[in-house]
Amino acid sequence: MPEREVIIIGGGAAGLAAAVACKQKGIEDILIIERGDYLGGILQQCIHDGFGLEKFHTSLAGPEYAQRYIDQVKEKEISFLLNSMVVSLTPQKEVIVVNNNGLTHYQARIIILAMGCRERTRGAIGIPGARPSGIYTAGAAQELINLKNYMIGEKIVILGSGDIGLIMARRLTLEGVEVITVAEKLPYSSGLPRNINQCLYDFDIPLLLSHTVIDIEGNGRLSGVTIAQLGKRGGIIPGSRRKIACDTLLLSVGLIPENELSREAGIILDNITGGPQVDERGQTNVPGIFACGNVLQVHDIVDNVSLEAEYIVEGVAEYLEGKLNKEREIKVELEKGLRHVVPQTLIRFKDTIFSFRVNQPGEKKVLVFTDGKRVIKKKFLRRVNPAEMIRVKLISSELEEIKTLKVRLV
Amino acid sequence: MEKEFVCIICPNGCLIKVEYEGTNINNIKGDECSEGKDYVKNEITNPLRVFTGSILVENGDFSLISVKTHVPIPKKYIKKIGEITRRIKVDAPIEIGQVVASNLLNENIDLIVTRKIEKKKSLSS
Amino acid sequence: MKTKNNRFDVVIIGAGVIGCAIARELSKYKVNVAVLEKEDDVGWGISCRNSGVVHAGFNNKPGTLMAQFCVEGNKSFAELCSQLDVPYKKIGKLVVAKKKEEIKGLQKLKQQGDTNGVDNLQIIDLNEVKRLEPNIEGIAALYSPETAITSPYLLTIALAENALDKGVSFFLNTEVKSIIRLNNSHFRIKTNKREFTSSYVINSTGIYSDYIARMVGINKYRIYPCRGEYHILDKNVSWLINHLVYPVPQAGVGGLGIHLTPTIDGNILVGPSNEYIKSKDNLSVTSSVMKVLSSEAREFLPLISPGYIIRSYSGLRAKQAPSSEGGFWDFVIEESGIVNNFINLIGIESPGLTAAQPIAKRVVEIINKKERLDFDPSFNPFRKGILRFEEQNEETKKTLIKQEPDYGEIVCRCEKVTKKEILEAVNNPLGARSLISIKYRTRAMMGRCQGGYCQNRIMEILRESFKLSPQEITLKGNNSYLLTGYRSNEVSKSCQKEKLLSLEEELLV
Repeated sequence: MPEREVIIIGGGAAGLAAAVACKQKGIEDILIIERGDYLGGILQQCIHDGFGLEKFHTSLAGPEYAQRYIDQVKEKEISFLLNSMVVSLTPQKEVIVVNNNGLTHYQARIIILAMGCRERTRGAIGIPGARPSGIYTAGAAQELINLKNYMIGEKIVILGSGDIGLIMARRLTLEGVEVITVAEKLPYSSGLPRNINQCLYDFDIPLLLSHTVIDIEGNGRLSGVTIAQLGKRGGIIPGSRRKIACDTLLLSVGLIPENELSREAGIILDNITGGPQVDERGQTNVPGIFACGNVLQVHDIVDNVSLEAEYIVEGVAEYLEGKLNKEREIKVELEKGLRHVVPQTLIRFKDTIFSFRVNQPGEKKVLVFTDGKRVIKKKFLRRVNPAEMIRVKLISSELEEIKTLKVRLV
Repeated sequence: MEKEFVCIICPNGCLIKVEYEGTNINNIKGDECSEGKDYVKNEITNPLRVFTGSILVENGDFSLISVKTHVPIPKKYIKKIGEITRRIKVDAPIEIGQVVASNLLNENIDLIVTRKIEKKKSLSS
Repeated sequence: MKTKNNRFDVVIIGAGVIGCAIARELSKYKVNVAVLEKEDDVGWGISCRNSGVVHAGFNNKPGTLMAQFCVEGNKSFAELCSQLDVPYKKIGKLVVAKKKEEIKGLQKLKQQGDTNGVDNLQIIDLNEVKRLEPNIEGIAALYSPETAITSPYLLTIALAENALDKGVSFFLNTEVKSIIRLNNSHFRIKTNKREFTSSYVINSTGIYSDYIARMVGINKYRIYPCRGEYHILDKNVSWLINHLVYPVPQAGVGGLGIHLTPTIDGNILVGPSNEYIKSKDNLSVTSSVMKVLSSEAREFLPLISPGYIIRSYSGLRAKQAPSSEGGFWDFVIEESGIVNNFINLIGIESPGLTAAQPIAKRVVEIINKKERLDFDPSFNPFRKGILRFEEQNEETKKTLIKQEPDYGEIVCRCEKVTKKEILEAVNNPLGARSLISIKYRTRAMMGRCQGGYCQNRIMEILRESFKLSPQEITLKGNNSYLLTGYRSNEVSKSCQKEKLLSLEEELLV
């Protein structure tokens, strides 16, 4: 069986950054396994700009951002497989890959999970109504339009205000399609404020908060949807039903980390993030299996994906040197105001970057870290928004003495 | 006149409050950086956006190639440029940064490529 | 007899599981048979929208055709599936009593089953229920080891392909508009496409069978559509149950109650609801019923969670019993008393799938009595389906990829369906070309991501295989187009390319 020091599953933003970082750490024997026919993953269809501001201090389009890493992968002669699907992963880090050349087993010392995420579908959110054609998830539509040169419809309603949906509203408008409205179930958007501004308001597309689609019509192709306003408790406000004639419904209703392989390998998942539970170096409960990028937690900015990948590779290098030892185990406990945290556990006393998402939007908030009694650190946040991940670093001295770690937003 | 802007320069999406008359700015509050200030000034005088889209490519390993304007352009031209991109076709191979159309609308608007596309390999491989 | 023009001995209207079973049964004889189907593929009515259960036959009133054919069908189902290469698993069923009062109902069912000739029924106690189904709440159950599951749409496709192989003609997208009885004891059947003539007409149109019968002046039937909605649960919770789990049926209800059905592919179905509706083509799901399904399922299976649902859908029952009455009326399988050679199949609802083969045999008997059909010794009951890469062992997988590299390209990630399988489905012998046809044949797009990853790829394979324009790719035939064209229209009009390039010259550098 071929052996590899590090196998990276997924050649998107996270996988590429992890591969480059591994090489920089002196790890020679790396293999990236990518199911698609190109590297760069979803970035290649994200042709809008705004990527790389943090990482490269310039605004790049998705493919440009990807190419910076692809160039490094090629320059550093990191090996990769395209059109290759990992069909099995064991806790012993054995990987089975299927591609046109056959079915191959690999044994790795380290696995880095970088499979990204998939889109939540109509079925998962249970939209009532008929089942015509013309219902697309935003990312699938983005691929058809931006990579395959197809057009998906003429009059479009978008459900959900996730960033991909907002970006697609602009994209479709620029392609001459009528985007009638964006309906969002929650009283606030799940996309970034700048995207609401430049993708909707620039083109006078209304954003209807606290609205959802309650019926779909159409026998062959979709012929219309009914939207309604939702009250505080989520019920439909009487008299708010409105039929909209359209031929397409675009869904931007959330992303789900793609952890089928992780589950198979016995990796414990976090119910809230949908990704593996990890320690401060992105290591899962299976020693030597790490995770980064959207498979770990859904990010809003690709720069953070790259940074996260580089950050966990520090742990990969330590693991290979036998230095990533468990010195303790502290579970990070969330108190009010916060929805999720990564990492979920701490095993050492080193500097640690935490990622959080809040439950709802707010202004002038303070993120408070305590050991149950004593405040360890406070971070002032001018504005918080569930759409924006909060990243905070705690240094080793702040983490040294503690036996528990609790975090809340006040 | 007072107005609030959401800055689009970076993902922070800062809220910026501006007092202004016509195109004269009296006071800017809440901006977290100088770029935000510039952004708001432009929004009042001449809003600018980077256009991104894609154009056809022939003989490449993909049929579309993504493009953007080399600099932010006046917002009012965005839709027009969108229409134009549906009618441009280029030949592979093509490198990131290559200019594929220049001086569009006679407004000094250039389109540059944001994806590397290689020449289509023969089917024999 | 050789078919000329559009003359057939027998025209079967409706290519559901019953129509296709009749077609296959008739293909054992030297007769010219045509099947007319209004949809883009076989099996898209009731046949693809049910629980996929091979019933044992204890739910049906003794002495009815339902009871007789269900028991018969159950006993020969395994053989049928093995001939046709269709999945079949005898997993057994539990009818679970949740309270003491319901135990009587179990005993009644057992008695009824025993009378009908169902084998191996037994009433089991709490301990045994818990042993068989640790996650199910109940105090006793009727255990029916003979109940099985199959894939209703794969069975329909298999029956059709086997019949097709024996010379039965299938006309898809062909909707019957009128039927005229000619003097010379022939029927003239007008459709949206062309005209057919035949000596016999078999009306196996499920929900529309009353409507078709009326075309020749038979007005005595009435079919009420009764909708059943289902949830499909993610495969990764298939461990929740091992058997089919049903409640004790309530009198006067036209269904068997909301039950839990493991599917042949490892999902669990929750449903169906039971709701008489007005329209015969309303396959909507509704938020109120979706909620009821979840809460009723939780009564049996407290571990069930809304997060497990990957899709909801609905199907219709072709009920003869009006909503005021409920319950089940027996199958009608008969030659019309007023129109000779016109054979009606009315009210074929559950257990129609189980009974498909015996029903088909009965129809052939009716014709045989009048015509003395010649048996065709060349009939071959065997048919091969699409080989499932994922189900092969590792050595076979390696060999398959070596022989055919398209087996090495996994298109549908969730269900691990390869490009080779997709291509085989695309090139199916019936000529069905929509996404749903590929879905039913391969399972691609049926997994937890519901085609999010593979649908675009499959659309591309379809387009390339048949050189379709984007608008010609459909979800389910007819007007269900998926794309409105190319983003840049020019690419589709290659004839205008020269003109185009000159037009663009000013823009090019």
